[in-house]
Amino acid sequence: MRKLLVMIVCIPMIILLSGCTDRKEIEEQAFVVAVGVDKTDKPNIFRFTFQIANPEVGSSTISPSPNESPQELVSVLGADFLSATNAANSSVAKEITLEQVRVVIISSKLAKSNEFIHLMQTVPSTVELRLNAQLVVSKEKAADFLQQNKPKMETRPHKYYQYMLDRAKETGIIPDAPLSRFYYITEGDADLFIAPLATVKPEDKQEYKSEDKYTAGDIPLKGENKTQFMGSALFKEGKMIDELTGEETRISVMLDPTLSQQDFIANYKDPLKPDYKIAARFKAEEPKITVDYRPNGKTTIYADINFRLDVYSIPSTVNYISDDKKRELLRNNLERQLKQMTEKFIEVTQKKYKGEPFYWSLHIRRHFLTIQDYEKADWSKKIYPNAEIKMNFRLTSLEFGKVLRQSDLGRVKD
Amino acid sequence: MKNKETLISRDLSKNQEYIETQYSHGVNMDFVSRPLTAATGRYHLFFYSTTVDTKQLSNHVISPILSSKKDVPLPALLAVPGIESLKDMKKVEDALSSGYVVIFQEGCREAYAAKIPDLKHRAIEKAENEKTVKGPKEAFTESLDTNISIIRKRLPSKDTIVENVEIGARPAMSVSLVYIRDLANPEVLDNIRKRLKSISVDTVCNIEILEQFIEERPLSLFPTMLYSERPDNASNYIAEGFIVLMMDNSSSCLIAPATIWSFFHSPEDRYLRVIFGNFSRFIRASAYLITLFVSAVYIAITNFHSQLIPIDLLLAIAASRERVPVPVFIEVLIMEFAFELIREAGIRIPSPLGPTIGIVGALILGQAAVQANIVSPIVVILVALSGLSSFTAANYSINHTLRISRFIFICASSLFGFMSLLGAIMIWTVYLVSIKSFGVSYMSPATPSTKSTHDTFFRILLKKERWRPVFLKPQDKDKQ
Amino acid sequence: MVLVKRPLKTRELLTMAWFMVGLKSADTTPAMLAGHTKNAVWLVPIASLLFLLPSFLLLMHLLKKHKNYNLVELIQHLLGSKIGTLLCLLIFLSAFIVIVLDLRNYVEQINYLYFPNASTTFIFTIFLLVCFITASKGLESIGSISWMFMPFILFTIIFILWLGQSNAVWNRIFPIFGSGLGVILTEGWNKSSLFLEMFLLTIGYQAFREPKFFRRGIYLGSGLAFFFITFFYLTYAIVFDYNTIENVAFPYQETTEIVTLGHFFTNVSTFFMVGWLICSFLRFSVFLYLLVWTFGAIFKVKPFESYLLPFCFLILTLGSIAPSFVTNELSVREVVLEYISPIFLLFPFLLWVMSLLRGRRER
Repeated sequence: MRKLLVMIVCIPMIILLSGCTDRKEIEEQAFVVAVGVDKTDKPNIFRFTFQIANPEVGSSTISPSPNESPQELVSVLGADFLSATNAANSSVAKEITLEQVRVVIISSKLAKSNEFIHLMQTVPSTVELRLNAQLVVSKEKAADFLQQNKPKMETRPHKYYQYMLDRAKETGIIPDAPLSRFYYITEGDADLFIAPLATVKPEDKQEYKSEDKYTAGDIPLKGENKTQFMGSALFKEGKMIDELTGEETRISVMLDPTLSQQDFIANYKDPLKPDYKIAARFKAEEPKITVDYRPNGKTTIYADINFRLDVYSIPSTVNYISDDKKRELLRNNLERQLKQMTEKFIEVTQKKYKGEPFYWSLHIRRHFLTIQDYEKADWSKKIYPNAEIKMNFRLTSLEFGKVLRQSDLGRVKD
Repeated sequence: MKNKETLISRDLSKNQEYIETQYSHGVNMDFVSRPLTAATGRYHLFFYSTTVDTKQLSNHVISPILSSKKDVPLPALLAVPGIESLKDMKKVEDALSSGYVVIFQEGCREAYAAKIPDLKHRAIEKAENEKTVKGPKEAFTESLDTNISIIRKRLPSKDTIVENVEIGARPAMSVSLVYIRDLANPEVLDNIRKRLKSISVDTVCNIEILEQFIEERPLSLFPTMLYSERPDNASNYIAEGFIVLMMDNSSSCLIAPATIWSFFHSPEDRYLRVIFGNFSRFIRASAYLITLFVSAVYIAITNFHSQLIPIDLLLAIAASRERVPVPVFIEVLIMEFAFELIREAGIRIPSPLGPTIGIVGALILGQAAVQANIVSPIVVILVALSGLSSFTAANYSINHTLRISRFIFICASSLFGFMSLLGAIMIWTVYLVSIKSFGVSYMSPATPSTKSTHDTFFRILLKKERWRPVFLKPQDKDKQ
Repeated sequence: MVLVKRPLKTRELLTMAWFMVGLKSADTTPAMLAGHTKNAVWLVPIASLLFLLPSFLLLMHLLKKHKNYNLVELIQHLLGSKIGTLLCLLIFLSAFIVIVLDLRNYVEQINYLYFPNASTTFIFTIFLLVCFITASKGLESIGSISWMFMPFILFTIIFILWLGQSNAVWNRIFPIFGSGLGVILTEGWNKSSLFLEMFLLTIGYQAFREPKFFRRGIYLGSGLAFFFITFFYLTYAIVFDYNTIENVAFPYQETTEIVTLGHFFTNVSTFFMVGWLICSFLRFSVFLYLLVWTFGAIFKVKPFESYLLPFCFLILTLGSIAPSFVTNELSVREVVLEYISPIFLLFPFLLWVMSLLRGRRER
């Protein structure tokens, strides 16, 4: 009986007191899938552009209203994400929530400014914005990017970002850059952070380069959607300092053991007939980084990379397939090509950027017992720029696809 | 009750007058009072024409009396299996009420009851409510004798005891306790006897009423006795050391003590091979969880934790709810209530109308409600799912528990999402584990753990079942 | 009628001890410790264990030697009723302060992370109400319910640890000693009272079917708890880098936010909140019950269950005093833990000495 009394008193109390304070019906919320942030003239005031998905379009349960667009863009000024959502509510009837945000798009102008890191510092204390959202740097204004990005095959905007980023990440032309990674690397203050680079405004001068030597914007692409994801933006201490091409991004991703990379198809120089190229599928295993740390002398970093190549086409028709000598030549040449390419990029990072985007500071840590010692040794300023880096590429398997022999084109021409 | 001490008179006409007044002869159309005059003397027969076997009566009672030449005592004369001498009128009345034929003889201070009852009951039929595909099909019927004979057939042993305990007064009914003498815990037996004796009402007609009289917690959400119509189920439990209660006029029995697992298990789980049986257990366990929580979780997630839903599903839900005029909580409640209506109507409806109500219910409540934008299609799916799952309950008693608990959880989750839902689940579960059925913890043998067959969520190989459920404290623990 | 008297066995105590001690892995404790030790936060529980183990084993040894006593009775038996009661009160008070601070802490987490618009007092009330009802059903029911939810909680733990590994970078555990070995040892000593529940649980020494089951349960349960605490702290250290971990107030929830389950389920944090919340309900129900039990044992009141409700009100009132979460966590909780640590590290030795003296006198 006493228990019953407690129940009778307590349950209505709960109902009355709660007032259902945190209850939100789903249809009363507007789900933002992408946020764009731009710099304004005023310091520390930014222009936020919210891309809101329209649930009624693309859903088969009811017939959609014909005139509704699959998305709505709202652009407001604000000092941080949360206050901007409030401001945006002056035009959007539903309550704007950031919990489904997939992409945060930053204009490169903002990324290069000093204000950027201050803006980013406000994010972790926001409960709503998830730290696994991707950071993307757009070459033009983020608002323009969101406005002009009109994918043709995906009705719902979030699908486009999801597929686009996933696919591009697999091939390594853009890196995986969740917000959380930005914080680890920036707060760790030892490495450089790279974020995908994208644009909707292709440049005018377009020329053919080897398939991954582009950055976003200079790919000679034709089609209705002008969006391009290619290359990456390089951040040092929370500030963008340069752009990397797709190739450089691939190297960075390949050298970074914390980032995974699927296979991709690339062209390599034919060693015997340098006018031709060899197309092959490239797959690298996780690199093995060892650091030989000398507190007073020159530090040496060894990077061992095992990779696999499936050659698809040999337009020069040189018989690499059955000729052992030639195959050995190809093997050595390919290893050398990769090594040269990588070493060139590493030299740039050492000389020009004075830091590496490979997250290699992790590997020197084991030589220190405490953080104080580690920070005193100063990886980014003292160790890395002066270190000697020894790359070692090893081709573990070379396959030639489903062809056993190359047909002799010379005979065909006769 | 006033004629308890009335003795039988030597005067036949006196006896006749007495019985005829007592039994309202002439008003009571089936009460027969028949004088017989044979060569050896005058006799008088009383019986209900509706409860005795008239063929036996004429062949084995009336004709021997009429044709006898010598004055032999009636027990030697009558060719019926049971005959009993009655010393006073109280016994006579009992015998008459039980459907016996009572014979008075002129000049004799004794009466005789010939046991040739023909109480009508159903034949043994297939189990209707606890169906199995593999396993015996027969079910209890409304005759205690038949039921006990089925049990005896399954447990042919001198240790199988059928003990009668009288309860009530108008009329007194007897409850049969069936158990195995050297297994059942005497403490539990005493407890059951005590509870039976403490019933103070006049009539307890059948086992379903009896259940509510001897339960420990009549207001509880959980049944503490297992109600079963399957003789195989009952005899399996008896063989494990449980006690079965049976009454005349009930086509089911009660099994005590009950644990939560006994409501979850179906006898078929043991008849199927161990993997098949466990697979069906797994399905059933999932179904119990679905029926309890799916609607509540839906409310909690959509109203409070929308970040948990993948964005595609989220947009789909949002789209389907765009034009629904009520909040999710009310929407779910409407549909759940509608489903309960269909179910209740389905039980009560005369069977010729059954198919109609199915079509009308499904059509109106499902299709039309969605088209009219009263509810969203996702809620219809969820409610159908939780309703369907509730039908997998292996026992009818637990069915109500599941259904009512579902509404509790739905209300709880609408207050504070997962926090209040989990709070409700905590309280519900702690109540569940604190229940005792005849001194046995409701969750045994899972917790508190004892040696047992380990037959809880899943069962093990029958060969490996070494112990009887020790939580019953049976007299013999070892099974092998 | 009860057929099986004192039915609890190893498994119930194991789960109770595990959840009670082990929930430290998923609250703000790692954040508090990481403020000092950075990425070596996972070494602190090991250090604490090293300090605590001798005194705990000694206490268990004494309980085994002097049969038929629980914690309070043992202390009163060995130290005499006056000093014994004083020490018991000291233990009781420290446990009481810890439960008040911890509860506030958990309520703030729920409030801030999942129900930002609701009032703290209100969530506090609901939380305590659930714990109160659970606790009022008695030790047997609490033990059973802990065991019943164990599979689900274990599943959650393994799942989160497994998902965490995909985001983890093992090299982040270096530099291995974080801010230094000295800091780790100091923290381990100062914060050893984080695990006072282990001592508090011995109040139930007599409540199990056999003391053997109690010993087995508490060793296994605490062992599991320490294992998972260390493993969780290690996961936090390698998921967040040393610079980030000290800024993260709720590492468990942050970890669950970062991990994704394929493309489809990108935000799974609420799923992990379910297991966490059940575990917290269980932990505070057990804690509340043990606290009131200790109180009842000190003042010899029976049945002590009727004191649950007043204690709930007291906890609610006291817990609402701290003006903000940060004050509660960083100033009050940390200082309190440092003050009460020596009590638990030292009192078993005192008991042991008294027991030796007593034994000599009797001889």
